Order: sequence, then structure tokens, then C-alpha cells
Amino acid sequence: MEAFLDARMWTLVAESTWQTIVMVFLSTIFSMILGLPIGVLLHVTSSEEQGGIIPRPVFYNVLSRIVNILRSFPFIILMIVLMPLSRLIIGTSIGTMATVIPLSIAAAPFVARVIESALKEVDPGVVQAAKAMGSTNWQIILKVLIPEAMPSLVSGVTLTIINLIGYSAMAGAIGGGGLGDLAIRYGYQRFSPSYMVCAVVVIIVMVELIQFIGDRISSRLIAKR
Amino acid sequence: MEIRLKNLRRNYGALHAVDDVSLVIPSNTVYGIIGKSGAGKSTLVRLVSMLERPDNGEVYYDEKRVDNLSKADLIEARRKIGMIFQTFNLFSSRNAEQNIAYPMEICHMEKGYIKKRTEELLSLVGLEGRGKAPISTLSGGQKQRVAIARALAINPSILFCDEATSALDPQTTRAILALIKEIQKKMNLTVVMITHQMEVVRDACDRVAVLDSGHIVEEGLVSDIFSSPKSDVTKDFLSSLTNVQESIVRWSKDGGHYTLRFRGNSTDEPIISSVSKETGAVFNIRAAGVQNVSGEEMGVMITDIGPDEAVAAAAVSMLRDMGVTVEEEKKEAR
Repeated sequence: MEAFLDARMWTLVAESTWQTIVMVFLSTIFSMILGLPIGVLLHVTSSEEQGGIIPRPVFYNVLSRIVNILRSFPFIILMIVLMPLSRLIIGTSIGTMATVIPLSIAAAPFVARVIESALKEVDPGVVQAAKAMGSTNWQIILKVLIPEAMPSLVSGVTLTIINLIGYSAMAGAIGGGGLGDLAIRYGYQRFSPSYMVCAVVVIIVMVELIQFIGDRISSRLIAKR
Repeated sequence: MEIRLKNLRRNYGALHAVDDVSLVIPSNTVYGIIGKSGAGKSTLVRLVSMLERPDNGEVYYDEKRVDNLSKADLIEARRKIGMIFQTFNLFSSRNAEQNIAYPMEICHMEKGYIKKRTEELLSLVGLEGRGKAPISTLSGGQKQRVAIARALAINPSILFCDEATSALDPQTTRAILALIKEIQKKMNLTVVMITHQMEVVRDACDRVAVLDSGHIVEEGLVSDIFSSPKSDVTKDFLSSLTNVQESIVRWSKDGGHYTLRFRGNSTDEPIISSVSKETGAVFNIRAAGVQNVSGEEMGVMITDIGPDEAVAAAAVSMLRDMGVTVEEEKKEAR
């Protein structure tokens, strides 16, 4: 365990952890921005039995298909396919910021499904009551569906963040930096198992922490009801 | 507000959920619509309350036609009616007062007014000081009170109650019905009460329509329907009520061949004795009792009349002359 005393390793781990946090944080925000409207759109245009308030079967099916196709894309391929897009937006296809683009786009369809299924859980009777009182569709979405689904939405966001931590580790493959990159370059390619162990432990701690906080917020919300 | 339905029709595939219903619901009354499950009453209330469009027919509020409104007008019109439900349908993300505030919020009313009105409504439904309570901490009756307050927030002229007491125990049902009646008088509301419980009609409604497989089979004043029901569905509802009524004393497990219904003054007179003396008829009373229907005494007696058919027929015609409704049950039915 020579390297455990190595100050350089700790600096590297700290640096990589920060990169992972930045990647995950930014891609969570962007994937929410992309995924939330799609998820809401999926829910409101679904059939009446599914709780849709503006049923549009053709539109729903097309959108749903697109979301499924995007979701079934392996992340590693999506990253390579989206390299030109990263170059267009960020100016480069390498580095931490450049990986935020494929991460956000990879997570967006997942977010959309998570949001859709959270909204689907809202009691249809409550939506009917809101409609009977003369709510507009926007009012139903903003004042009824989203607040009513909030505990499930928080769980969904937690799940998304944890998924993104996993995805971000793969981003090392295109030089994205972060803990996955550290584990591959030092742990695997330079045969330093201590780097590998360190990176994995930090990732486990991050995931546990996010799960803990997410569960806490979700149960707080439920307890207030 | 008077509600008028003209030849309403709504089909789900081959099922005629509402089949040619025409009805006038007079202003300022509690109007019951009773039917068994599957009779089409939920569909009917959805049509009348503008939640669904009919396939055919027209709905009028006073003189205004409301079944063909544009989207914007529909939202505007819905903001002038109140509705309560069997499952309360309160927002779990909001506490009691925020629930009551919702209909005012969506109409962009001023905050200070909403606060004042919410307090008023809480005390109107008997929940002073419970405004901050999360919905899950309220009992069924309290939830329905919050729902009533929410429905009344925008001063509607119509209140729809869709099986509003079906999820409540008998005591709470009585309390909620009393509250609805009180509010109806105070606010001059037209209340439309959808139910499958005859006791709700008896305790709360002025008029009633009986719905069976999408048709109105009988309509009228509650006291008239109770004293002289015409359709089998209505009689069925009444007999189920007779069985559970504590005031009905049942001597025999067998039903009698005749059901006699007395109303108003005739409950005070010795009718049976007079008829018996006059015609020589022998009454074998199986069950009898008196109940209060919209403030009027209403007697029911289930009896056999003997000794032979001629005497029984004479007795029946004499009873009818004295204002008693006599129903003879078909012999082959037993």
C-alpha cells in the first residue's frame, strides 16, 4: 500500500471528485431542463385512462418511441456520436465540460420517464376535481400534478443523480476526467490498485449520501401531508 | 339557478349510459338523483356539470346553454359551480385552508380576500382553527367539510354532490346532509345530489329523480314518491330502506301480499280498524312503521288481507278511498 501515503494521490482524488461533482451537478440540471417538459408532455398527452388531461394518441406514441430509442442507446456510443455537438456548443469534445452534453442528453429520456411515471401516480379524482373547478391545463400541471407528485419526483431526481454518477465514470473514456477516469488511467492502466479502491470508495460514499438525502427529503414531504 | 336537461344521451360503445334524459331541476332546491350502480348517474352528473359533453341533447343553466361551450367559456362556466365527491378529492399537497383557497387562486383573486374568505368558510363548515391541518390528519367527515368549503369558495349557484356521503358512516352522513341543507338555505343554492342511498333522499332532498339503465323512471316530490312509488326500481329502493329502518317493526319473516303507505294526516286515524269493521276484512300485519320524509310523517305497513279475495278487494278499494296507497304484490313472484 505504498501509495496511500502519497500526497499526490490525494490531490488527484480530490481533483477527480470535484470534476465528478461538477459533471453530475451540471448534467442533472440540464437533463431536468430537457427531461421535465418531455415527461410532463408524455403524461398530459397520454390516454385518458392513463390520466392524460389532453389526450393526443399519435403525438404520444411518436414521442414515446423517440424516448425509448434514446434510452436504449448505450452511453458509450452516445458519447461518441455526440462529440460534434459538444464541439459545437462548448468548443471542444474533450474534458469535463464537454462530457456534460452527452451526459445530459443520455439522462434526459430517463428523467422524462421518471417524471411521467411520478405524475401518473397522482389520484385521477383530484385532477378531475381541479378540472371541475375550472382550472386551465397549465394550472392543473403547475398547481396540482407537480405538487401532488412531489415526493415521487424527488425520488426520481435522486435516482437520476445516482445514474449520472455511474454514467460520469464512463465519461473518462473520452477524457472527461472525474473518478472513473482516475480509476481507469491510474488504477487499471498503471496498475495502481490503491487509486482504483480510492475512486470506488468515493463513488460509493457519494451514492450513499445522495440516496440518504433524497430519501430524507421525500419522507419529509410525505410526513407533512 | 335552474338546470334543464333536454334529451341527453351519452354512449360508451354499445352501452347507453345516459339514454334520452330530460329533466328540470328547479332553482333553490335540493334535488336527488338516485340509481343503482351502473344506472348511469355518474355519467349524468358528469354531463350536467360540464365535465363531459353529451353525444346528443342539451344542458341549460337558467336560459344559458352550457353543453357546447368553447374551451375558454367552459373554464369560465366551471368556475361558477361547486362540486364535491365520494372520495373527497382534496389536494394532499395542500393543507385544509390551502385546499379551500385553490378555486380562488386559479381565478387570481386578491390574497387578502382569499384569506378572509377562507376563514369565513372554515367557520361555515364548523372547522374553525383547523385551517393549518394537513389533509391526512382529518377524519372522513372533516375532509368532506373541507371539500364543501372549497366548493363554496367562489360563491357558486349550483352545488353538485356526487355520492358525497357514500364513504361516511351513518352519523357523519346525517351531519354532512344537515350541513348541506343549511348551506343550501343560506346561499340559495341549487343542490344536485347523486346517490344510491334512499336515506339520503329521504333526509335531504326536496325532489328526486329515479334513474334506471340510463332512463328516468320516476320523478317528483320526495314525499309523493315515498307515499306512492310507481316503478319497481323505486319500490325496491324503498323496501331496502324499510328493512334497515329501525322504526319499522317486523313481526314475521314472510312479507305480506299488500304494502300500504300512509302519509300526513292518515297516519293519525284508525284506518285499519274502520276498514276492518266496515268490510269484515282480516288484517295480518307483518311489519309496520313510521318515518319522517322531508318533514312529513310517512307510514308503511306490510300486511295480508283476508279472509277471501272479494273482501280483500273491497278493503283495498276502501283504503284507496281513504287516501292510502295500496300496492299488491304479484302472487307468482313469491
